[in-house]
Amino acid sequence: MIGASISRWTMSYFAMALAWLFVALALMVARVGFPAAHLASPDTLVLVHVVCIGWLSVAMCGALLQFVPVLVAKPLYSEKWALPALGLLTAGLVALLAGFLGLGGRLPAWHWLLPVGAVLLTVGFGLIVIDLGLTAWQRPAGPARFVLAGLASLCATVTFGAIFAFAHAGWAGSIGASMLASGVPLHAIAGLGGWLTLTAMGVSYRLLSMFMLARDVDDRKSSMTLAAGALAITIAVVGGIFAIWLSSGLNAVLSVVAALGLATIALYGRDVIEIFRSRKRRQLELNTRMAVLSFVSLAASGLLGVMLILTGTFATHLGAFVFLVIFGWLSGLVLAKLYKIVAFLTWLETYGPVMGRAPTPRVQDLVAEARASKWFVIYHMAVWFGTLMLLADQPSAFRAAAAMMMIGIVGIIREVIRTRQLADVQSPLRLPDGACAPHLLFARS
Amino acid sequence: MTNELVGGIRDALCVVIDPELGYNIVDLGFVYDISVVDGAVRITMTATTPGCPAVHFLKEGVASAVVRVPGVRSVDIVMTFDPPWAPSRIEPEIRASLGFAAVN
Repeated sequence: MIGASISRWTMSYFAMALAWLFVALALMVARVGFPAAHLASPDTLVLVHVVCIGWLSVAMCGALLQFVPVLVAKPLYSEKWALPALGLLTAGLVALLAGFLGLGGRLPAWHWLLPVGAVLLTVGFGLIVIDLGLTAWQRPAGPARFVLAGLASLCATVTFGAIFAFAHAGWAGSIGASMLASGVPLHAIAGLGGWLTLTAMGVSYRLLSMFMLARDVDDRKSSMTLAAGALAITIAVVGGIFAIWLSSGLNAVLSVVAALGLATIALYGRDVIEIFRSRKRRQLELNTRMAVLSFVSLAASGLLGVMLILTGTFATHLGAFVFLVIFGWLSGLVLAKLYKIVAFLTWLETYGPVMGRAPTPRVQDLVAEARASKWFVIYHMAVWFGTLMLLADQPSAFRAAAAMMMIGIVGIIREVIRTRQLADVQSPLRLPDGACAPHLLFARS
Repeated sequence: MTNELVGGIRDALCVVIDPELGYNIVDLGFVYDISVVDGAVRITMTATTPGCPAVHFLKEGVASAVVRVPGVRSVDIVMTFDPPWAPSRIEPEIRASLGFAAVN
């Protein structure tokens, strides 16, 4: 297969993901969860899972449904599973959140909602893992290996999460209870470090090369980056479980994981610099310039982590560190690439079928980068300001940062909707004879 | 006659653009070869990235444009990435406007 087809439901995933991001920011503005509440509080669990499952995981799944076939130049194993998976993930997340709200006394204490949510999420992510895994496995080379490592990490993350959910309901016995008492860092590392970060790294290699017309990263170099990252996650999961089983504490395991995590960031930085140096397009589009800001946040996260460990304040400022990783690095990169993917897929869907029969606009004609850039800049500035305010223990100022982030996100969502509506494409190129206007929430294919 | 037909085909292909670069595929150097035998046209072409979803539409767009050229009886399109496309294939003035380095 030379060209991949358009994923019908990627836009639906993106729309759902952006809706959850909006909910997360609204919760932060409304002082629900950290820093207004403790990191381990039920309210913070609500906030963290809205962000990590609702926003980041759903957006990542939507992007992968389109881009894994591009990475391996093979069709998706089953397009039919995409929509049921989205439904299961959404229903599972809602049940999980209701369970957390029950733990915190905001809803009746129906603890069975947590296992129900976990089962729904496990089946939903299971469909995604099988669909993407079988597709990527057809040509497990280059960036596709990062995706496979990410999917394996997703399995570990979901397994930990399901054990915790059953333990909360009192259905997981003493082993489940000890996992819940000590295993939360392993769940977070597998999710944020393995599933989201390794996958984002792999996809970014291909997208950066594709949109800047750069050479693909040397396979030996990216293999080294992946090896360091995958080893970190393996040690976290396997070593962590052993440490919990032996009741020896997680400090030794987490120290090794931190060192390997830093090495992974450094190696990834080297790879990204190589892509930028070899690019044939000298002028950078908005999505690439904004991706650079997310790389800055990743580097800053690494530096911040080292400084906090050296000063013995990592536990105190864990919230600020995780906030920068989630909103600066992961969300920053996903937003930048989502902006580009929406424009690119909208072009393909609308103008691809009439190409050769009528003049068509460029992808760049579907967006207004000068107008959109301010929303991205506001978002990133707000994230960095928010991180500093968390470090300075200034919850009111952090709330202002969350409100600024929300303004940025609303602006970006508006730009994405305008792209889907072809609002910035000038006539007569906007809808040539034979072209159909795209639906906002899915691809007409 | 064949040269005229090839010229007509080239002109017709100017309506097919690379959506990312925004220029037609002839000026971008995507068209490697056009051969015509008794109205049967065979076009060998490339794109910037294998696996990109745009490749399928480029191929379809080329077929749609060429089949309308008077004198064309059939169209066969061969998509190849060997040799890979390089910016040196772009018409010089367009290459400059796209911000590509002269040698890449």
